[in-house]
Amino acid sequence: MIATNIVGIAVTTIILGSIYGLVAIGMTLIYGTLRILDMSQGSMVMAGSFIGWGILVVAGWNPILAILAAFIATFILGALTQLVSVQPLMRRRTAIDFEMVTFITTFAVAMVLTNVALEIFGPFQRNVKSVVSGSISVYQGVDLPYQSLTMALVSIALMAGLGIFLARSRWGMAIRAVAQDLDAARLMGVPVGKLYPLTMGLASALAGIAGVFLGGLYFAYPQAGDLPLLEALIVVIFGGLGSLPGTVYAAYAIGLIQATAEVIVGTTWSLPILYGVILLVLIVRPYGLLGRPSEARL
Amino acid sequence: MSTGMTSEPMLEVTQLRAGYLDTTVIRDLDLAVQPGEAAVLIGPNGHGKTTLLRAISGLIAPTSGRVVLGGQDVTGRPADRIAALGLVHVPQGDGLFGEMTVEENLMMGAFPASSWRDRRAALARIYEHFPAVAERASQRARTLSGGERRLVALGRALMRPSQLMLIDEPSLGLAPVAIDAVYDAISELKRSGATLVLVEENFTHVGSVADAVHVIEAGTIIASGPYSELSTDPAIVQTYLGSL
Repeated sequence: MIATNIVGIAVTTIILGSIYGLVAIGMTLIYGTLRILDMSQGSMVMAGSFIGWGILVVAGWNPILAILAAFIATFILGALTQLVSVQPLMRRRTAIDFEMVTFITTFAVAMVLTNVALEIFGPFQRNVKSVVSGSISVYQGVDLPYQSLTMALVSIALMAGLGIFLARSRWGMAIRAVAQDLDAARLMGVPVGKLYPLTMGLASALAGIAGVFLGGLYFAYPQAGDLPLLEALIVVIFGGLGSLPGTVYAAYAIGLIQATAEVIVGTTWSLPILYGVILLVLIVRPYGLLGRPSEARL
Repeated sequence: MSTGMTSEPMLEVTQLRAGYLDTTVIRDLDLAVQPGEAAVLIGPNGHGKTTLLRAISGLIAPTSGRVVLGGQDVTGRPADRIAALGLVHVPQGDGLFGEMTVEENLMMGAFPASSWRDRRAALARIYEHFPAVAERASQRARTLSGGERRLVALGRALMRPSQLMLIDEPSLGLAPVAIDAVYDAISELKRSGATLVLVEENFTHVGSVADAVHVIEAGTIIASGPYSELSTDPAIVQTYLGSL
């Protein structure tokens, strides 16, 4: 019984943490680079869910195609969101409360996207076919659906891939350079006018892929991004705004707390317990797990 | 490349005005720097030396006037485009990426596509030139001492070929030993034929490199001449103390 509980907690932690991490890491990337909280990230999850539904259910095509299509479409959508709601304000970012204004402008984009989805698809919850079906028995009484396993593995691979991209590649290094010293990065020849939409496109594409999987666990519907957005916001603030490792730790820490509470006291109390712990941690560490007050990020 | 006084200036600034928001810092400033020349801008703090460099490299857009680099009008172009044309600017405070390693900082110096291909060879060259930098290759830039930071900033500036190099107060905040090391590197740069614009507050350190000296006050150049002339002009020396 105890062993079953422990295995159950471990499995749930990895699944929840991985998907929280995948949705939240894009927000951290954007915050670290642009110093904005991108409220349109939830819409990218929603868009990814609908793309998953369209390709897996309506067209009946291959799951890999669904993931690729979600990546490309939400990359473009994210880059366009940057050009529409953030780029026009860049020149005046020192003269205005840039963080607050872009919080609202990206939220406005999210509202528009939600209502466009409502107009096109209606208020229905669409069943998105699982990317993979079936499940595996991990331990007595602990079944792991392949969908969740695949979601966790893809999330971990994407987060690791993002880490390697930022650490090693020319453009990944440029993103870090811009996050740490904008003027110096420009003097190195980094075209920030292109880099910002690329960064928001990349972050949005990760959320879009998360949407394909989340659509399979829940549904595709116009508000499908609302809860993931809220959860991502909590993860990035809990982890320390702008810290990529902090975001990953926070995602798994929150997954662990939620999984433990679910197993021990049941689902009714798991969320109150989770938010109680978050409240306590933030009172003790207002900058989050790995956040630092107004320092260079990424 | 043509030589002598008849050649086209590497940098020509004409009637430049620049500043921040409502404040004009640079007023009707003219400056020409010849290929291979080391020009030193001297003047008190807060009179526009740094702002001038920022306007030349495109970090701020001039409100009027012209900046011509190697015969090309670059006025108002974004900094990354001007950098790609061969302008290297070592900003005040070094502009290192603190969370990146020294080696990553150096590699960013080769960011434009044309120089990125040759970054390995450039790295090897910098390490050979600055053994002190090579020793710190895998250390994060924010953990370096002031002198080490300055050398890394200079090394990073040498990671790609440049037409013109702007260096803002290379001696600022450094111990005398570190200043000597930094100026040794700058002298060598000059011997290799680089065109340089240096900003300093006074004459103290620039003797070994300066060809022309321009005195900036209240956002414009109030006196220009060869180093040998200005550094012995009693009126100017008295104002810009820097004992010789």
